[in-house]
Amino acid sequence: MKSKLMLICVMIVLVCAIVPLFVASSSGGETKEFYIKARQYAYEPAKITVNKGDEVHIKLASLDVIHGFFLEGYDIDAQIEPGVQGFKLRHPSEGREFADVNEIVFTAVHPGKFRFRCSHTCGTMHPFMQGEMIVNPNYPFLAGVGGAVGMLISAMVAMFVSGRKDKNLR
Amino acid sequence: MNNPQQDSTDVTRKTLPPDGKVNNAKFKINLFVLFPWFKKICKWRSIQFLLVFPTMVIFLFFLYAGLFGSRVGNRNIIVIFVWILWWFLLITFMVPFASRVWCFVCPFPFFGEWFQRGALIKVRVGKMLGLRNKMFGLNKRWPKFLTNIWLQNILFLAMCTFSAMFLTRPVVSVLILGGLFVAATFLSMIYRQRAFCMYVCPVSGFQGLYAMTSMIELRATDKEVCRKTCKTKNCLTGSEEGWACPWFQYMGKMERNNYCGLCMECVKSCPNDNISLNVRPFCGDTLIKGYDEAWKSFIMLALAMVYSVTLLGPFGTIKDWANVAETGNWKGFSIYAGIIWFTALVGIPFVWYLASRLGRFLSGTNEVSTKDIFIRYSYMLVPLGLLAWIAFSFPLIMINGSYIISIISDPLGWGWDLVGTAHVPWKPIFSQYTAHVQIPLLLLGLYFAIKRGYDISLTLYQNKSRAARSLIPVVVVCTAMILAFLKLFTG
Repeated sequence: MKSKLMLICVMIVLVCAIVPLFVASSSGGETKEFYIKARQYAYEPAKITVNKGDEVHIKLASLDVIHGFFLEGYDIDAQIEPGVQGFKLRHPSEGREFADVNEIVFTAVHPGKFRFRCSHTCGTMHPFMQGEMIVNPNYPFLAGVGGAVGMLISAMVAMFVSGRKDKNLR
Repeated sequence: MNNPQQDSTDVTRKTLPPDGKVNNAKFKINLFVLFPWFKKICKWRSIQFLLVFPTMVIFLFFLYAGLFGSRVGNRNIIVIFVWILWWFLLITFMVPFASRVWCFVCPFPFFGEWFQRGALIKVRVGKMLGLRNKMFGLNKRWPKFLTNIWLQNILFLAMCTFSAMFLTRPVVSVLILGGLFVAATFLSMIYRQRAFCMYVCPVSGFQGLYAMTSMIELRATDKEVCRKTCKTKNCLTGSEEGWACPWFQYMGKMERNNYCGLCMECVKSCPNDNISLNVRPFCGDTLIKGYDEAWKSFIMLALAMVYSVTLLGPFGTIKDWANVAETGNWKGFSIYAGIIWFTALVGIPFVWYLASRLGRFLSGTNEVSTKDIFIRYSYMLVPLGLLAWIAFSFPLIMINGSYIISIISDPLGWGWDLVGTAHVPWKPIFSQYTAHVQIPLLLLGLYFAIKRGYDISLTLYQNKSRAARSLIPVVVVCTAMILAFLKLFTG
């Protein structure tokens, strides 16, 4: 009985975690443009949202000192100087030098939350300077929320069953 | 109110489970039996000194680096090694897997304990204060009204309010760590044994709470031997083999990890060879004894949230508020500090109180007081908070880990290249997968919170149905907290 109940609880959690992944949808394929300004120790806008499959264009500018723009998961690292049109861009995995560009262009192929963070020491709070790019559907988040809600439901089920069993024994 | 000094001798009846069971572990493996050589090492008098001394030297070097090295945090070893590497190792590995093992090697009490004992290795025999060891210093008793962890709670909260400063500025790190070091030494000259570690050290406070989850415990092998056979109680009073427990613990009644610093003096002094170092399941101790410990769990959870928002979030305004030393925005800092203190001391406890009251109502009986529900169920926030902290700490190491490699070659930021790694560029390590690490950790925290909460409810109520109903509101609160963390980390 105990192992059967355990199995049911695990199934509830798994179903709750997986179902949102099938239900969630987003219409990608559009072109999204963003103009991100960097300052000590934040980006403006701090959060950008796109859909999977969107072509993302990002222009960068610095309002104070030299900042970096490292977008995790997308092999993008830029260096932004204040008062300069355009910025420098490289792809770390290719190990090449920075090249002067006017915008970053890439396709949002990986769903989830990706942080862009400063990669050039810019002051005391530099290690914590970051922004967020959400690529919908945000599968990891949906699975996490589903899992937590599933755990709540299975806890209720387990407690209810165990309470009823106790009542019957009495 | 909880008194850690009497942790092993005074389990208050009010919060004790009906069956007296405060330890949840179903199976245990005694490492001393499995690895007799390890027991020999623990009994070896020099072992602690041999481990603490290098830690002490490294710590003094960190202080030097903080004072005279680069002012840029990520180019100074004190910031990278203490707040990123040490913190990560402490919260992710040491506490959950090895309890308070850090206290065994902690350099803070090094000089104070040396002064008290007048020896680094050997044991001094004598008669004083009911002990069989001779100790130097004033040896005063710690004030009774402070024999709890409230001071640690407040000090930790105060310290963390200024975290944006000490996490980024080497000199501020020196002030904090050096201040604690001086305080530990000074208090050891006045008060008995490790009063600083027991009642003052902010790191000790949360380590004690989260050590309840640890998969390691030091316990009497057979408590009956302690109670009936042992007349000398060497663990508490000392002997020529070992010092009296610096943490004031009597092994015959010690049931929790909270106030055991794993110094191994009891292993050395026990005349009956009755001490075990057990491996046990996660979350073995489940008894929260008083409001001070309950509030510690609230404070730790609130700080995990605040840190996640401030340090891992994209919110520039909040960073500006926290970074008052640079921005000079005292109004913003006041709001920031106010939010931290209010959330930790009032907000979360109030929500918990409401959930406890509702739980009592749903249980349909008055057999358990709201106070007992409030305190006992607050244990659920221990695994939940610990796992949230681990989830918070993983990105720190994944993002800033490469600084560790470069700092090894240039610890003071002076342009050295000692082992040829000074110019290793900053590169996050699989940081795009942080969510994939954080989500299972948070869900694991929720699982243990609910599981242990249910176990606790069964010790409070005779009837399973009532036990379950009393638990529903706090389980909902725990789930809401995990959802909030999920939103912060991955949403």
